[in-house]
Amino acid sequence: MSRSTQTALVRDDRTVYEAVAGLTVGLSGVAFALALAALFDVVGIGDPVAGVSLSVVFGGLLLALGGAVVGFGVASRLGYVDTAPQPSAGVVAAAAFTGVWFAIGAVVSGALGLGTVARLGAGTALGGVAFVTTAFPREDIGSTVPAGLLAGLAGAVLVSGAVGPSWTQPLSGYNATLFGDIVVPAIVLFASLVVGWSAAKAYGGFGARGRNVGAYVLIYLVVGSILTVLVGLVAFVTTKGLPGLFNGFGVGGEALIRWPFLTNGAGLLADIAGVFPALVGTVWLVIGAVLFAVPTGVGAAVFLSEYAEQGRFTSVVEVATNGLWSTPSIVFGLFGAAFLIPRFGNQKSLIAGMLTLGFMLLPLVLITSREAILAVPDEYRDASAALGVSKWQTIRSVVLPAAIPGVTTGVILGVGRIAGETAPILLTMGGGVLPAKSAAPNVLSGFRLSASPPFVSNPALLEATSALPYQLYALITAGLSGNIRNPQEYAWGLALTLLLVVLVFYAGGIATRYYFRQKLHQ
Amino acid sequence: MSQTDTAESTANRTDGQGVSTTAGETVEETRSEWTNYDSDGETKVAVEDLDVHYGDDHALKGVSMDIPEESVTALIGPSGCGKSTYLRCLNRMNDRIRAASVDGTVELDGEDVYQDGVDLVELRKRVGMVFQSPNPFPKSIRENVSYGPRKHGDIETGLLARLTGRAEPEREARLVERSLERAALWDEVSDRLDDNALGLSGGQQQRLCIARCLAVDPEVILMDEPASALDPIATAKIEDLIEDLARDYTVVVVTHSMQQAARVSDQTAVFLTGGELVEYDDTEKIFENPESQRVEDYVSGKFG
Repeated sequence: MSRSTQTALVRDDRTVYEAVAGLTVGLSGVAFALALAALFDVVGIGDPVAGVSLSVVFGGLLLALGGAVVGFGVASRLGYVDTAPQPSAGVVAAAAFTGVWFAIGAVVSGALGLGTVARLGAGTALGGVAFVTTAFPREDIGSTVPAGLLAGLAGAVLVSGAVGPSWTQPLSGYNATLFGDIVVPAIVLFASLVVGWSAAKAYGGFGARGRNVGAYVLIYLVVGSILTVLVGLVAFVTTKGLPGLFNGFGVGGEALIRWPFLTNGAGLLADIAGVFPALVGTVWLVIGAVLFAVPTGVGAAVFLSEYAEQGRFTSVVEVATNGLWSTPSIVFGLFGAAFLIPRFGNQKSLIAGMLTLGFMLLPLVLITSREAILAVPDEYRDASAALGVSKWQTIRSVVLPAAIPGVTTGVILGVGRIAGETAPILLTMGGGVLPAKSAAPNVLSGFRLSASPPFVSNPALLEATSALPYQLYALITAGLSGNIRNPQEYAWGLALTLLLVVLVFYAGGIATRYYFRQKLHQ
Repeated sequence: MSQTDTAESTANRTDGQGVSTTAGETVEETRSEWTNYDSDGETKVAVEDLDVHYGDDHALKGVSMDIPEESVTALIGPSGCGKSTYLRCLNRMNDRIRAASVDGTVELDGEDVYQDGVDLVELRKRVGMVFQSPNPFPKSIRENVSYGPRKHGDIETGLLARLTGRAEPEREARLVERSLERAALWDEVSDRLDDNALGLSGGQQQRLCIARCLAVDPEVILMDEPASALDPIATAKIEDLIEDLARDYTVVVVTHSMQQAARVSDQTAVFLTGGELVEYDDTEKIFENPESQRVEDYVSGKFG
């Protein structure tokens, strides 16, 4: 192979070998993505593609990819191409391939009807061979041949139809059955991941550069699948929830926008059942919890990081707050039920829920505020002190403004958690499962002044109130439906509304953080 | 306090201590007449027998040194010799370090700043400080300059002041302009006073810090290696500024650069390892004909 421009430092021409290896990496990525899509039912593995089912196409693709990868290794070992392999593929690759091939041996021999001892024997034998093949030859053989054979075997199984769309396998000992439409994408996902990694190493010419490229491909594929799962989750809830959310939605008429799902209650008289009382309840709940937790949490953080001497006391407080943040929410709920409810009119109430969730939010606000305050450079404090400015004024006008973005991040994270909490609401504030519109808490106009203590009262705060996660929980577990025509659609719409409420709070928090960051750095 | 008294007490102290030796190695004895410098000007800050301990660490050993008014005094010496510690005693910034304990007297215009009942706010208004790395607040240029006067209540801004008619935007603007002009920064930033100070270059930030310090109208300005984080051009600007400031203020500047000390200062104090003041005299004398062999070695680059 003549590479006239090739020097040790400069690689400016692309060989056929590299081109084919790059193509192999790309095809592995395509197989990976298709398998993910099949796992999420976007495409069916039984769908015919050019006359054969997708499952068989997958098999053929894997066969070709496996063959190509083995070819890269052999070509490199025989010296047909210019690579820089290391003496061995390494202990991690060897251990991984041993484990994988052990599992393959055990599963395949089991499928052929062998007993337990024979399956263990077959697994051990295959694992041993894989270990020897990976660990002892040079890297170009060790990291391609086991991977290529793996993909080849998977491809052969799929092409032969031994595992296909209609394949099922009852799991003995478990009350469950494996289906082909899960197993086939899983096999393809795994095989394409391994073969993609191997082909990427070949593309990089093995050695340090090859390992680098291989690691990149692995990371990109894994990150891609995680993102797909996250996006898939949101998309799933959105598609399921949209019909419910926009049930009866219209523009024009007497009101500018008619959106019954958000503006109606679920009472008997509502023509289209909505979530208005629960939505208002959740919004007030979050506002109340934040109003309680942010001043107290930030105040405690200021004391702990600026005034208290760093030592045993502060570290005990730190451990305690970390512990509180990981305390299960039902414990907070019990505390609220046993401690707060008797003090607020002996019935479940909005304010009991607000305070309970406020207690839950407090540790996170404290932890993140403390981190943010400690991260403010000491130079600011020195500069302020050198100008003769007192400690409290320094904290107020220099330290806290610089810490606001960090504090906001903590509040954003915390709101996401408490807005979806069900258990504490169940115990401290839960109102009707299917509240009519009139049951919505009217906090703003509910304040009453009186001449006797407590001087200010707000009946809305002392009433049992519904909230979105609580209503969702009640609908699904209790199976109540009232006059809701399509409870399933209603519940999904409710879930989407909850998701949107949390997102709106997020957006508000992120905007706040962005505003203060801009102010600090521009 | 007359000059003779100071000389006598200094001499007595040194005699009492005897020859200073460490670990069997003979070190040149520090003579009191080397540090007994008499400048022409009025004494602004008089420091007498100053000892500083950081826990068990004896950072400054019996330093006595008078700083004359409206001049530039340079403190030079190798790292860890106590020159920054000395500087931070003059406005009691060492109080911010818990482990630090200070003995001796520091007199500002004849008043001991370490006696009970000293108002630190008032002291630090009169003795300002500029730090090694530029440390403007993450606020606008205008807010940085007016920060001190605002917090001291000398200038009222903000919503309440505006509502009650007590806001003085013109006075604030004048103060900001005067301070920035004095710090030789006005021409560069006059059109963007509301931009964030962190957007300025390092040299501009340092001059902003000087302007921020000038805005509270100090009498003494302490500078702790003010140009060590800056490039040569910015350094030259800071040096010009220091010389200029000495017409109205008493400037004490700690520096690692002997060239800088030689260029800007009227008198120079040399601290050497162990926290002792070895020689204090006219800058010319220190750099051309020092009494102490160790100082001569240090300024000619043989030691430290």
